[in-house]
Amino acid sequence: MRPENYEAIKQPPSNEFELNFGPNHPGIEGNYAFRVKLNGDEVLSARADAGYLHRGFEKLMEGRLWIQNIALVPRICVPDPVPMEVCYSLAIEELCGLEIPERAMWLRVMQLEMSRLAAHLFAFGGHAATTGMYTPMFWGVADRDLILDRFEELTGGRVYSIYNIPGGVRRDMPDGFLDRLGTLLDYLDSRLPDYDSLFFRNQVFIKRARDVGAMTQEQALKWGVTGPNLRATGLAFDVRRDDPYLVYDKIDFDIVTEPGGDALSRNLVRRAELKQSIRILRQIIKHLPSVKGAVRCPIPNPLAWNVPAGETYTRVESSKGELAYYVVSNGGDKPYRVHVRGPSSMHAVQVLEKLAVGSRLEDVAQIMFSLDACPPEVDR
Amino acid sequence: MNELDKIPVRQEISVAEGNVKRSNPLANVFDELVRFCQSRSMFMLHYCTGCGAIELPPAMTSRFDMERLGIQPMVTPRQADILLITGYVSVKTLKRIILTYEQMPSPKYVIGICSCTVNGGMYWQSYATAKVLKEYLPVDIYIAGCMPRPEAVISGLRDLMGDIKSGRADNWKRYFQNYDHYLGNQQQLFGEDWQTPTDIIAEAEHYGLMTDQTLGEHTALLQKHQQPLEALEFSLGEKREKIQGENPREKNNE
Repeated sequence: MRPENYEAIKQPPSNEFELNFGPNHPGIEGNYAFRVKLNGDEVLSARADAGYLHRGFEKLMEGRLWIQNIALVPRICVPDPVPMEVCYSLAIEELCGLEIPERAMWLRVMQLEMSRLAAHLFAFGGHAATTGMYTPMFWGVADRDLILDRFEELTGGRVYSIYNIPGGVRRDMPDGFLDRLGTLLDYLDSRLPDYDSLFFRNQVFIKRARDVGAMTQEQALKWGVTGPNLRATGLAFDVRRDDPYLVYDKIDFDIVTEPGGDALSRNLVRRAELKQSIRILRQIIKHLPSVKGAVRCPIPNPLAWNVPAGETYTRVESSKGELAYYVVSNGGDKPYRVHVRGPSSMHAVQVLEKLAVGSRLEDVAQIMFSLDACPPEVDR
Repeated sequence: MNELDKIPVRQEISVAEGNVKRSNPLANVFDELVRFCQSRSMFMLHYCTGCGAIELPPAMTSRFDMERLGIQPMVTPRQADILLITGYVSVKTLKRIILTYEQMPSPKYVIGICSCTVNGGMYWQSYATAKVLKEYLPVDIYIAGCMPRPEAVISGLRDLMGDIKSGRADNWKRYFQNYDHYLGNQQQLFGEDWQTPTDIIAEAEHYGLMTDQTLGEHTALLQKHQQPLEALEFSLGEKREKIQGENPREKNNE
């Protein structure tokens, strides 16, 4: 007989255990963590543990002037900062009804595509490192650095350029910049076959990445997946084409899709977008000298700038997906409310939690890098 | 009223003695050789705590190539020498940083990269970040900038190498010697029941680094709140015996 207050001790089965994956882990991207429940090396459930990089951006922006926030926004997403500046500037311009000069639009598109190239080179380099191939990572980072050199020449900053302000861009480009950019593009173009033979057509990578972290198109739409990850499920959706901003409607480029929806397809989409970005930049080099004029429209004194009351939602296509700003102004010199709709907060939390289930432990890092999630943007 | 508010945080007093000359000349030569070897094989912990970590891949890979100086990333804190704090430190991250720092074997060096570790940087008014890193950990080198270029990172690491070679980089001793000061600041931030699994006071005794600054009112508070770390199975077994009054296994055998 057991006494009445007897309770059987609830212990999990001995073959199941929990593992803290991150934040101090070489396989995780940035400062981010996961608690995975494992059976052997099969993931039974995963729980995201975010908040290590939380700085309270949306609250900080309410306490600073409209123009001061320009220096703050690129810090939200570190590998791909330019879309942040452009999107925030577009929101203010829409609230104020500013018409920015055409040359500024072309300069902005040029930076956006340079930033996309840099971010994609970094992303597939990271993915290669998680599958044990370090050479593509070394090459990708070294080639990204050449793009950062051009950024430094154009804007003065390697990573955070803070070049776009409401009303246009800060200054015109230096002499001979487009020639040097063209030389860089030729070099990057010549590197793409090397990347193909080293990584994208490498059987080691293909066998590791095929059918890993796969999702269907319906799931992707339900979970709020955007950007290259959505295009990897076969849906040709791109904000640049479907809701054109700046001068993307004057530029000829393809929306690349892949049918698979797995880690392999997502990387192949990024590989194809490298080619498309180079194509867009070539068109800009050809067209930009014929666009004359100022690079920014006159704006009021930025230190006492009362943006008219109203609210707006602007979106751009960053390298991670659809990035949007919801900005509310009550007519003051500071924003009343700014909400950042970052693509990574969907990819790294709800999508990754679901895709990791059923995969193996060594693939969790691979899935995270194939989704190209950016932890500072998740936490903000 | 909170008990913690009554206790002031002590001022840090520098009691590090620097490079001690020993009486045996051969021992001095040996010390120099050891320091030279330490400065030339540094493993830095692979922990990207903030946005400055984006400049580390260029610094580590083929363009700037940190490895030619003998610096390599290392995945576990137990085998690492350098803790790089790359950028802003949120409160949640700072707990992990302190846990990681205490796990690292001495001698260990902390490098604060980016302006945010110096004074809060861009996030000086943020509610979620710790502003001044050196209040919580002894920092050897600061590399300012938002963010510092790879050349600046490598230059800072070379400064640290010079300091190690000449025996000046002994800030890790300050953590043991002024533990009450650092623990006080940590308790101000995390609350009075803050504790880590590492027993710093026992380690300070082991290294012979106990000073009158090591123990104080804050360490007394730590010992008051400290719960012994026991294996989970052990405590479960005891509870079972208490409830049932006898060992169930023996009963089954009967």
